[in-house]
Amino acid sequence: MNDFKIDFKSMKYELLTAIHECSERGLLQSVKWLSELNFALSHVIIKADGEFKTLDDSPNETAAFLLAKSYFNIKEYDRCAHFLKNSHSPKSRFLYLYSRYLSIEKKKIDNMTDVNCPPNPTQNNNLKELCAELKSDFYDNKLDGYSIYLYGLVLKKLGLKTLAVDIFIKSVQEQPMLWGAWFELGKLISEKNKTCSNQLPDHWMKFFFMAHTNLEQLNNEEALQMYEELYSMGIQNCTYIMSQIALAYHNMRKLEDAIEMFKKILEFDPYRLDNLDIYSNLLYVLEKKTDLADLAHKVASIDKYRVETCCVIGNYYSLRSDHAKAVLYFKRALKLNPNFLSAWTLMGHEYMEMKNTNAAIQSYRYAIEVNSRDYRAWYGLGQTYEILKMPFYCLYYYKQAQQLKPNDSRMIIALGETYERLDRTENALKCYYKACTMGDIEGSALTKLAKLYDKLDEIENAAAVYIEYCLREEDRDDKIPEEQRDYYNALQYLANYYLKKGNLDDANTYAYKCMECEETKEQGKALLKAIAAKRIEQEDLDPEAEVA
Amino acid sequence: METTNANLDCVEKYRKLVQQYIDLHVYDAALFWADKVVAITNTPRDIYWLAQCMYLKKQYHRAAFLLQSKNLDKNYLLCTYLTVKCYYDTNEYNEALNVINKCDMNAILNIKNECTPNIPENDFGLFDNVPKNQALAAFYLLKGKVLEGMDNRGLAADCYKQALYCDVYCFEAFDLLIKYQMLSASEEQDLLQSIPIAMQCTSEEAHVVKALYELRLKKYHTPQTQVIKNAPVIFITNKSDNSSHFIKSLPSTPNLQITPTSISTPMVAKNNERNLRKNQKLHMTKMQVDPLDNVNISKFQGSLDFHVAQSEILFYNCDYNKCINLTEEILKADPYHDGCLPLHISCLVELKQSNKLFLLAHTLVDLYPNLAISWFAVGCYYYINGKSDYARRYLAKATCLDRLFGPAWLAYGHSFAIENEHDQAMAAYFKASQLMKGCHLPLLYIGLECGLTNNIRLAEKFFKQAQSIAPDDPFIMHEKGVVCFQYQDFDAAEKHFRAALEKIRKIKQGPIQSTWAPLLNNLGHTCRKLKKYEESLEFHSQALLLQPQSASTFSAIAYVHVLMENYDEAVDWFHKALGLKRDDTFSTTMLNYVIEQWAEDKTPFSDCPEDIPKFTGLKTRNETTQNNVSGDTGSNMSLTNNETQEMSMDM
Repeated sequence: MNDFKIDFKSMKYELLTAIHECSERGLLQSVKWLSELNFALSHVIIKADGEFKTLDDSPNETAAFLLAKSYFNIKEYDRCAHFLKNSHSPKSRFLYLYSRYLSIEKKKIDNMTDVNCPPNPTQNNNLKELCAELKSDFYDNKLDGYSIYLYGLVLKKLGLKTLAVDIFIKSVQEQPMLWGAWFELGKLISEKNKTCSNQLPDHWMKFFFMAHTNLEQLNNEEALQMYEELYSMGIQNCTYIMSQIALAYHNMRKLEDAIEMFKKILEFDPYRLDNLDIYSNLLYVLEKKTDLADLAHKVASIDKYRVETCCVIGNYYSLRSDHAKAVLYFKRALKLNPNFLSAWTLMGHEYMEMKNTNAAIQSYRYAIEVNSRDYRAWYGLGQTYEILKMPFYCLYYYKQAQQLKPNDSRMIIALGETYERLDRTENALKCYYKACTMGDIEGSALTKLAKLYDKLDEIENAAAVYIEYCLREEDRDDKIPEEQRDYYNALQYLANYYLKKGNLDDANTYAYKCMECEETKEQGKALLKAIAAKRIEQEDLDPEAEVA
Repeated sequence: METTNANLDCVEKYRKLVQQYIDLHVYDAALFWADKVVAITNTPRDIYWLAQCMYLKKQYHRAAFLLQSKNLDKNYLLCTYLTVKCYYDTNEYNEALNVINKCDMNAILNIKNECTPNIPENDFGLFDNVPKNQALAAFYLLKGKVLEGMDNRGLAADCYKQALYCDVYCFEAFDLLIKYQMLSASEEQDLLQSIPIAMQCTSEEAHVVKALYELRLKKYHTPQTQVIKNAPVIFITNKSDNSSHFIKSLPSTPNLQITPTSISTPMVAKNNERNLRKNQKLHMTKMQVDPLDNVNISKFQGSLDFHVAQSEILFYNCDYNKCINLTEEILKADPYHDGCLPLHISCLVELKQSNKLFLLAHTLVDLYPNLAISWFAVGCYYYINGKSDYARRYLAKATCLDRLFGPAWLAYGHSFAIENEHDQAMAAYFKASQLMKGCHLPLLYIGLECGLTNNIRLAEKFFKQAQSIAPDDPFIMHEKGVVCFQYQDFDAAEKHFRAALEKIRKIKQGPIQSTWAPLLNNLGHTCRKLKKYEESLEFHSQALLLQPQSASTFSAIAYVHVLMENYDEAVDWFHKALGLKRDDTFSTTMLNYVIEQWAEDKTPFSDCPEDIPKFTGLKTRNETTQNNVSGDTGSNMSLTNNETQEMSMDM
């Protein structure tokens, strides 16, 4: 991909054609994406604007198509489908199928009674029918690239993901400019079948796709690098790329950079709501209450009934610890779009706060159904099952989270704790060890590790860990006495350890340190006494002590 | 002399009047003038016409009395015919049979059975140049009907056959022979071969007649045995889920008899024609569903019967959506096309379109409360809404109105079957099997019920019987496979299932209908039992393509993964299964077990060391501690990763 070059002129030409084609077919999101990119290329000038004759327009169907399209535009999908029932040109056919699909989806959302559960997947008969129709048409080679994309969409909705991947690949082979297909493909491709990338057409869209997919798969470095390459190539002012970069920063925990990027986007396009839920997450994490409040007010004034808006407001209430209200807003978001991933996850967190484990489990599960790569949902599930005291399940979920985020010590510590609960001390120990070597965020891994070493009678190792721990604790500036219990326990352990070993000087040092705290004072005194006694003993038997 | 002449003149005139009034359905006037003619002439011919008028006025006994009192019913074929018809219409079958037996014609008729009729017309007592063979055919037809009314169906069938031999154009006799599924497919073929079409028509016409009749034959047949090239290959439907299947049948009421050339509005006809052409040209190889390949009969394409035949094929191929589109077209052209209605209703049942069925049933009951099909529709409506009690009530009514209406009996059986009332269901199916001797469906359903009551041996017997009627039906093969599976004879089961699958693939290229998902699943189960896990997975995933989002398929796949010790996958699939069906005990128990296995099995994380690591101190001590900003279980679980510089995606 390094030798990637774009001829802006032909790119722009292709963009313009594709925008025309897609808008003819009512593929609004793709049009939006393409147009954003096109806008970013407004410095490139090509001739022959606006002369896009579509080839497959059969004149006797144009009238019906125009009529149907107008119904489509005002969202009367059934009506649109009715008037295209007998059309045969690929374009009309696509619009017919697409409007049927949208009608089914719309009805599904409309019939949703309870927001706590998305539409019942067992009542999908209409979609299955549509799928069967598309299947036989596909088999007869009657579908064009756009309709194949639709077929893929339906398959994905029906949970046939592996087949859907093949179908989307076929679709982009035929219509490389169809961003929707690339987008879906990016969501479906798992790391396992990364090999399929050589089946993809060599088109500059592939570059965007690869970047997008890297980001989806949390390969943040690579994604960022690719986007920066695009950026440097002169595609600036493209809000899509900017927001992708912001997402990459967010994933890499470069929170400040991400916020910076979002601010830049909002400056350029103040009414853009896409991805603002992520922005609100950032503000939440950094506890920037005022900024979040400001954002919430702004987005609410732009559009109250957008998923992103609801998530921002939900986050705002959550930060104010008004969890019930937060849930209300997340619910609203999900009513608007039951496939909005972060709303499910966030709602799960809120339910956790409210100690409603069952609801939390449901929310997390739906989140995973929407996107199985959401490690936060997996982790959340682990937490809920921990509360429910089902350690095996808990282990499974933590493990999923850990696999998605292999370098996050929190996951691995959670895993270790679960192993400990299951009495698999060795595994737990390995987890803690890994957490320590990886950089322990919460600082609890060392003591846990030491305890397990001790339990397994690996006293030398345990002591080594405690020494490490004590050194680290002493380096810390923000000592809070109440939280120092582990520290004093460690000191006590070390004192005992040296005492047993006969290294009385070290034992003495640690025992003295124990005296600093109320709780361990008594033990400290006892230890000192024991040390003193031992010292006397040693002095009596000096020569033997030397030998020992 | 003059009076006689004048008499003759006015007789001629009055006779003409009678004819015209009859044609115009002004029966009172016709009767009046016929009476006057009889007063003048008193010939058998005029008395016959007088009786005819009475018959048309539905004064059956009056007509019969008139003919019998003049003793005409013994010597004149037409008069005998009319008398019998009168008694038949009043349901007095015994009386009708008496008349037939007493008539003098029997001697002649019996002779005629043996040789070709060369007896002069007068011997039959015909008037008005009625063609003798038609009259004879009608007579035999009526005799058959009377016999059938007396439940003597064997003799009745003989009479129908005789009627057909006398007059090959007598479609009603042909239809009565085949429509109640009295004959099996091969018997139907034999019948068609045996009727003397060639003798009675010109050779070109003979082809047409034969082709037209062939359209009406049973359509669940292998392509090879069909005479029409590229012909309908059909199968009767589904079973294991006990969803209902009805074979097509016509209600028997004289006023609704259809002919091969029923009307159709030009527009629809044109549309259909176009579709048909399209099928012919584009999908010659693909769709063996086109009965119109025969050039001889292509000129009749406008006839709705053709479309009915085609939709029948679609129905038997389980292509319900296409079928209903076609039947809807047909019913648009002819809203009460009685050949199409049972098919249409069955489709509605299959697709569970209760709303449309409700409307249809209401209209039918309003218009034809005396037809079995109307009440059949009502019964079906309640059946798909799960109200078996009501369904039974109305289906019973349908069977009362037309005792030979097989579909109603089958549906009656289904209504018991879905409530697990196996014995009663079987009783109804038995009744259906008696009525529809040429149809394997009742036997198949009986076998199914036997299987459900764990009477596997008996079930097998019934399947065998069914297969002797329809040797190529994949449904039977499937069910036989199920029986073998229950016997734990997995090799045989696999054989049967595979045979069924092969058959299906042969019928129709392209994607298999989703009705067959259970077959693929069963193949998966069988392969699993035979420890062919890879194949099993393959079949299950194929089933999933046909029927996405099915919890039982998910858990079957998961189970295979368990046996293959792919615990990772297994857990994943069990989760999916439980996502769809939360209270599935199998999946829950299995998941509990598997997830423990999985925990035993797995290393804690990907690059986990074998032994307990020795602690050697940390190099990056100073970089590690950076306080985590957010609360730990807070909404935005911030999972700070401080070691980005070392981060590598090693998975």
